[in-house]
Amino acid sequence: MLSRCLSTTPIRRHASTLGPKATDSLWRQAIIRKNDSINAIVHVASEDASEALANGPLQKVAIAVKDNICTKSMPTTCSSAMLKDFRSPYDATVVRLLKEAGADLVGKTNLDEFGMGSLNTYSIHGPVVNPFQLPNEDSSWESREQRSAGGSSGGSAAAVAADMCYAALGTDTGGSIRLPASYCGVTGFKPSYGLISRYGVVSFADSLDCVGVIAKTTKRVRAVAEVIMVPDARDPTSASHALRSNASSHSPRLSATRLDGLRVGVPAEYFPSELATSVITPTRRVLSAFQSLGATIVSVSLPSTPYALSAYYVIACAEASSNLARYDGVEYGLNVTVQRTRSGDTAMRSYAATRTQGFGPEVRKRILLGTYALRADAFDNYFQQALRVRQLVRDDFNKTFRSPDVRFMVSPPAPAADQHGVDIIVHPTAIQPAPLIDDNTKQGLDAYVQDVLTVPASLAGLPALSIRSESSIRDSHEWPIGVTIVGQWGSDDMVLRVGEMVDMSLRS
Amino acid sequence: MVLCLRSCSHGLFSTSRRCFSSVRSHQEDKRWPGWQIIIGIEVHAQIKSRRKLFSVPLTGNLPNTCVSPFDAAFPGTLPRLNVQCVALATRVALALNSNIQSRSTFDRKHYFYPDLPAGYQITQHYSPFAIGGRLVLPTEAAVPVRIKQIQLEQDTAKSIFDPRRRETLIDLNRAGMGLMEIVSEPDMRSPEEAALYVRSLQSLLRAVGASDGNMEQGSLRCDVNVSVNRPGLPPGTRCEIKNLNSVKFMMSALSSEIRRHIDILDSSSSVPQETRGFSEQTFETFKLRSKEDAPDYRYMPDMNLGTLHITETQIQNIRETMPELPDITRSRLQKQYSLHPRDVEILLALDAEKDIPFDGETGGPSSAGAVRYFENICQDHGQGAKEKPRDPKVVLNWIIHELVGQLSARHETFTAQRVPSSWLAELIDMVQGNIITRTSGKSLLRHILHNPSEESPKQLAHKLDLIALRTEDQVSSAGTAPPAGDMDLTAICRASISQMPAEVVAYQAGNVNVLNKIVGHVMKTTRGRANALAVKTVLQAMLDGN
Repeated sequence: MLSRCLSTTPIRRHASTLGPKATDSLWRQAIIRKNDSINAIVHVASEDASEALANGPLQKVAIAVKDNICTKSMPTTCSSAMLKDFRSPYDATVVRLLKEAGADLVGKTNLDEFGMGSLNTYSIHGPVVNPFQLPNEDSSWESREQRSAGGSSGGSAAAVAADMCYAALGTDTGGSIRLPASYCGVTGFKPSYGLISRYGVVSFADSLDCVGVIAKTTKRVRAVAEVIMVPDARDPTSASHALRSNASSHSPRLSATRLDGLRVGVPAEYFPSELATSVITPTRRVLSAFQSLGATIVSVSLPSTPYALSAYYVIACAEASSNLARYDGVEYGLNVTVQRTRSGDTAMRSYAATRTQGFGPEVRKRILLGTYALRADAFDNYFQQALRVRQLVRDDFNKTFRSPDVRFMVSPPAPAADQHGVDIIVHPTAIQPAPLIDDNTKQGLDAYVQDVLTVPASLAGLPALSIRSESSIRDSHEWPIGVTIVGQWGSDDMVLRVGEMVDMSLRS
Repeated sequence: MVLCLRSCSHGLFSTSRRCFSSVRSHQEDKRWPGWQIIIGIEVHAQIKSRRKLFSVPLTGNLPNTCVSPFDAAFPGTLPRLNVQCVALATRVALALNSNIQSRSTFDRKHYFYPDLPAGYQITQHYSPFAIGGRLVLPTEAAVPVRIKQIQLEQDTAKSIFDPRRRETLIDLNRAGMGLMEIVSEPDMRSPEEAALYVRSLQSLLRAVGASDGNMEQGSLRCDVNVSVNRPGLPPGTRCEIKNLNSVKFMMSALSSEIRRHIDILDSSSSVPQETRGFSEQTFETFKLRSKEDAPDYRYMPDMNLGTLHITETQIQNIRETMPELPDITRSRLQKQYSLHPRDVEILLALDAEKDIPFDGETGGPSSAGAVRYFENICQDHGQGAKEKPRDPKVVLNWIIHELVGQLSARHETFTAQRVPSSWLAELIDMVQGNIITRTSGKSLLRHILHNPSEESPKQLAHKLDLIALRTEDQVSSAGTAPPAGDMDLTAICRASISQMPAEVVAYQAGNVNVLNKIVGHVMKTTRGRANALAVKTVLQAMLDGN
């Protein structure tokens, strides 16, 4: 039986009381020095408890894990009161793979409760504060401007930005890796749906959830992603070897240093009225980098984009209402006992009390929305309709890309059928830089609008890499903005190689 | 029990289905004259697999030991379809001539209950596993009951209420076990037909090894739908009675419900659509909820499982390795062995008691039932092909009357392992070859059941001095000496005659019946080792010759 004691001490306080030891790695020293001010890490693993194997491609590489990915040796809270004292009886497949590769799993990172949020403010551990500070600010780093790190993988992005780890695992349902990467000025990668195992990843919306990697550069992202992008029999949605190699056989061949022949599409619909002007310049900078590498820039249209956000929220909330039905306090997690009455509905009243107390406001809201969308009389108008829009979004991408989506390919397409098609799509990751944490507007619909540019790739299950648009974050005189590279399903390797070249180009 | 299933070789994918309900004419039932009863049944049968439908649990019999993190709905766990469950459901669909869908999908049915850890049950709401089919009831009229669909779904956990502590205990061992929901069309017209349908389905499930169909242990449960109307008029409002766990209770529930409907209709009111339960104390149904209170299950496709594809080749493979269906076994036994239909029924009933092996396995000793036992003895020629095959009627007699008879006297049930078929064959051969008498054969069988040992019946017959006594002539013609210390039958008869002078005189005076007394004396002396007819012949020869 798991202990159900409710400790009120925030976990992050423990780190500072210890103080850095000489034997600590630089990563761990950064955690000890900076985490109080950022609140990125919610559980620090003790170094001697590291179960990493001696040899492997990631030997002694410090990696932080989002706290909705199950770990046997550390808590898995999902930033929820519901799972405050929960410890998983098993390791997620990605955690096992990282351990087997020799990685040093340094701790668990903060997130929006169950991954629901775009600003990492809905957390039982408190909000994550963006570690970025403009060089021209007078105040000390600790008393810098309190801006959001983005969400829901805000802890992972902030931990990477603050050098607390080499890379961090995040999850992305509608933009939860790309958005915080953009706000924190780091690189965030959401792979194609089905390429990284979801076994042991606490479900928010099964058809959208992806595990991904956040690091400072695309090169680092790739080093970690390559270890975990393998088929897993424990995940029924994991893509087979055959499907993966079929997809990559359709990806364009790239030279080692140039992007000649690569066709880059810029979708008109991704520059909505909500887009801040400060976002345009960084996007142009990245597009120039593409051109200097020999790529061709063309304008494309993805007409279903305006409907994607609404469809996304219907699907994600409907799936969430189903996936979160398991948190009833019976088998594990928070259990609120109620007074027995003669009416005999003790179990139901206990569920209501447990779920009311265990879930935060955003999770409760989404469960209610999702429950409504699945009602027999609303199902056709909401869930079914949203699935139709999702198909339109997929169709848009398939019409735009040169290569086919091999998951839905009936017969091989005629070679070079569409010379007008593009290989990748490039768009700004977010409509604005990181907003202030105490900004009141974040409470309303505006918070959902943060995801408007990221959800189409989620709905279509496509690989999306948000890269830094600045040459160096330290010299930046503006808050960072990410630029996203989207590829056809299964072209992840190509997307990462393109990202690496653009990274290099921006820095040269 | 007669199952008149159409042979699987044809008609499986026939799309033309007659509407049997409209074809059947109304038959007046004396219990409710002027009323027509319409019954449809949903059967939930647990799939006999070591694995659950979507998980591989730890094994254990104690409560909450046969559980995987997935079964307890732990965060992050994902389902993984067990192909063995699909194969077993395919057998059932084939046996019911149901149309197996090349693509079917899984959906989530949501409700909160302590026996449902995930808050939803994975079932097949939108596109079930198999559609159509039929089961013909073993009545003279051979009533066909159409099958609407077969779907795969998860079982729930078991909740046990402790009235003393007023607490509900949850056992997750059953949570996530594979179930087949077999839904019939409303083609039954009486509680008796409903009972026959469930029993026929039960034996079909057992025959194909898909489920042990045990209602007492809850591996087969029924929900019945019943409505009452005037013949010729549209069907009445139906009520569903949930969770009936014995055929007897189902019949009582139906009778009680039919009476209730008739009472309501007689008073010129209308029957409200309801879901009802059945009380095993009062033998009456009671209201669980009305149509208005019907829960909204918020069905949603399960995004993890995707589409279940079944190819024609896979179906063909399962068809070829499938156990024989009861009606085919029945006609084969009658034809091949010229057995009386009544004896075949007894053998099949005995066969139906065998344990159903896990995962449809065949060939294991535990899966051998009475039919295979019988056929082993008939077909195994023991010493070699030169011997003529054993008489099937004699073999069946030994199994049904002697073996099962002695077992039931010992309060044991038949299993193929209790007395190996080769042993019973040897014993029958000894009796048929007059090596031992029938009486000795029976005592030998009793001895084997009472004293389990490695010794074969032949060895035991010698050891226990059961070898039949032979006459002087038989001994000399056989050319072998009788066992040491054994007298021949001629000598024993001679001794008896000399011990019973009064009877000899009476016989010779014409009282023929007194001979039986002398035969009895010989039989007593030989403790059943002599053949009574042979003794009589020897005695007659001796006395008449004098």
